[in-house]
Amino acid sequence: MCEDTFLIQNKLGLHARAATELAQLAVQFDAEVTLYQGDKSASADSVLALLLLESSQGKEVKVVCSGPDAQPALDAIGMLIHNKFNESE
Amino acid sequence: MKLSELVNKDCSKAAVLFSSKKRILEYISELAHSQIPDTSQHTILDALMAREKLGSTGIGKGIAIPHGRLEGIDKILAMVLVSEQGIPFEAIDKQPVDIFVAFIVPEGDNQQHLKTLAAIADTLKNKSFCKMLRQAKNDDELYAVIQGEFDE
Repeated sequence: MCEDTFLIQNKLGLHARAATELAQLAVQFDAEVTLYQGDKSASADSVLALLLLESSQGKEVKVVCSGPDAQPALDAIGMLIHNKFNESE
Repeated sequence: MKLSELVNKDCSKAAVLFSSKKRILEYISELAHSQIPDTSQHTILDALMAREKLGSTGIGKGIAIPHGRLEGIDKILAMVLVSEQGIPFEAIDKQPVDIFVAFIVPEGDNQQHLKTLAAIADTLKNKSFCKMLRQAKNDDELYAVIQGEFDE
């Protein structure tokens, strides 16, 4: 199991498109991926659950991964968040 | 905020019959235009289509949330449509979509947009609610389900 905390940097936060990108990425790994923000948590493979986090720009989310692909999953998701979900701002 | 506060009766459509993504988006834009007459149907359709081009709003489990941001509107317009048959929508799980929660939001207010998405997600994650949406036979029943008048 591994975890890290990432800062949501994109202007729109974890909106529908960003949540969909994250879910699509998470399911590519043989890993259970869970996001935590404050007292809320969401399984990364559910867009609906991710939207419920209401993660806006400037919020920190903790990503916890377990399973055979835990580390590569964590690295990839960290990169996606760092890259602002491939958005320009 | 709750979905029930966002959707009025005229924006609850049960058992609609469309066979393609394009057609249902056209219908959604017509419906939206009837609610916000100052914005043309064409403008609304363009906004919805532009969003779909960035990636399908089909979020899985037969649900899609087509939406667009528009300037010149002052509040959120939300619509719920249930299709008799699943429509191919390039959804994340590649399954056809029969529940559409569509919304038009004012440009700019990102915090509000996230709140709207969360309110919609909170309602749709309830499987029995989705089942009741699918079972609604007409617009009145659908609206009653959305307003929580049918208890589980």
